[in-house]
Amino acid sequence: MSISSPRYTAPSVDRLGRASRTLAVLRHELLSRAGLGTLLVVALAYIAVTLIVVFDADFASAAGQLSVSTYEAPFQSPLWALVILIVATAAGAGSVAEDRGSRSIVLYLSRPIHLSDYLSAKAGSIGSWILIAAVGPGLVAVGILAALGVGSATVNLSAAAGFVATGVLAALFFTGLALALSSLTDRALYAGVAMFGLVLSLDIGVGVVSGITGNSTVLYASPVTDLTSVAEAAFHVAGPYPTDPVSSAVLLAVVGGLLAVAAYWQLSQVEVVGE
Amino acid sequence: MTGIVDAEGVTKRYGEVLGLNGFTATFSSGITGLVGPNGAGKSTFFRLLAGQLRSDAGTLTLLGHPAWGQGEFRRRVGYCPEGAAMFDWMTGEDFVTTLLRIDGFSRTDAIERAGRAISSVGLTDARERRIRVYSKGMRQRIKLAQCIAHDPELILLDEPLNGVDPVGRASLSALLRQLSHDGHHLIVSSHVLYEVERLTDQIVMISNGRTIAEGDIHRIRDLIDARPHVIELESPDPRGLARFLGSWDHVVSIEFLGTARLRVLTRSPDAFYAALPELVVSEGITVRAVHSADDNLDAVFRYLSEGMR
Repeated sequence: MSISSPRYTAPSVDRLGRASRTLAVLRHELLSRAGLGTLLVVALAYIAVTLIVVFDADFASAAGQLSVSTYEAPFQSPLWALVILIVATAAGAGSVAEDRGSRSIVLYLSRPIHLSDYLSAKAGSIGSWILIAAVGPGLVAVGILAALGVGSATVNLSAAAGFVATGVLAALFFTGLALALSSLTDRALYAGVAMFGLVLSLDIGVGVVSGITGNSTVLYASPVTDLTSVAEAAFHVAGPYPTDPVSSAVLLAVVGGLLAVAAYWQLSQVEVVGE
Repeated sequence: MTGIVDAEGVTKRYGEVLGLNGFTATFSSGITGLVGPNGAGKSTFFRLLAGQLRSDAGTLTLLGHPAWGQGEFRRRVGYCPEGAAMFDWMTGEDFVTTLLRIDGFSRTDAIERAGRAISSVGLTDARERRIRVYSKGMRQRIKLAQCIAHDPELILLDEPLNGVDPVGRASLSALLRQLSHDGHHLIVSSHVLYEVERLTDQIVMISNGRTIAEGDIHRIRDLIDARPHVIELESPDPRGLARFLGSWDHVVSIEFLGTARLRVLTRSPDAFYAALPELVVSEGITVRAVHSADDNLDAVFRYLSEGMR
């Protein structure tokens, strides 16, 4: 076969940098996850949290007992953690798994996109959805109360900070979890079941073990308990807390980060064999 | 080796199965056809080039870079994969624009380039439809559009004409020739030698994961022309189509497969592929898809493979 030198010269075109390309993936991912199920759960979170916080605060204000801890009401229900888990699953379980299953991951990685950019965009999308569901409703409720003149500026700002702190930690942990489990499989369903199974079994399991042994240290193994402790501390609820809030916060952030690193390592080993 | 793509002893295993078995070839400028029967290792080779798979042995470089992994050099490469790797919920235009944005083009540039690429593959009228309603041929076209929209130096096309209607095949073949004329380098895989022959004289033949021939196509096609060729057609009116095909001298037999498929045996595939688009246009007959069964090619590949031992 004859051998000849390349003769093609692509016209010089200004291209945007890695950050812009990552943002393009993020935008695409955010839109692709905006399915009916995700939007429905997020809408329910907004309605439920807003109603609970606004009515609780209004009644407490009328009784002259309004404080930052009044705003913690949504976290007293296990439904809050469940809603966050559902949103994280809807936004995250398929994020990598579906790309692998459909081989559309090829469309990303055959382009000048680094694996770290791809995963950063995926993490950004999952995290954004969790923040929308975890932080947004609380801030909306605080905004409504401020507009109605309920609560002082200090109380409302402290409550807003509580929602942000708890929501950010939830986003860090569940984003890492979703990325790690989603990168292990090419089926979103498997990743979703694993997310639910892991979080719920840990929550129930450590509760049982702690009850039998009387050892409260095992409670750190439950992300739901960790988040509850952080929320109670963030909203100045009187202790004792199930776990030390600072330790729980560090644990959630570190484990979330490690899970994201594990997802990167796992995906860097993956080959897309195809159908 | 100093080709656009160089493969030296590339081996890829899927467990016990060998996808590529010491594949060695140099792909130079212009269009090179990678021809082989189904399961020969063509898609494995493309996936290795696209950085989807990592070879177990040997070296594989494209544009001077190792094929495994990501990197900025990938902006010089366009890849049209086989199979349905698409974002079905998007419109064709959004699909191409999004991928251009991921390539680093500004929004304005991306929209402009997407429009041009979609127009060049003949999908302008369908650009605002969602991909999930596209026919197989339209999906092939939009995949081709995303592959060429960023003006890549090297274009990798894995079975790009598979499932495309006869008229579409002719126009897409013309587009590929134009891209080559403009200086792009193309590697086009197919299990249909006649498709590749209409694009280029340069071929690499692959069977059982090994190179069995490379270079000029004419010696190989002489062998193939000696054997009747099986072609399957999909049409809503197979009997009407058969009436016309039956009048062609080179057609040996016609067999009906169900209500919308025909199997045609021809002594001259060249003449068949040349005449079919004319028939479709002049008689207004709908042919949804053309498939070339590669049983007869297998015989030639076996012959060539044995000749190498």
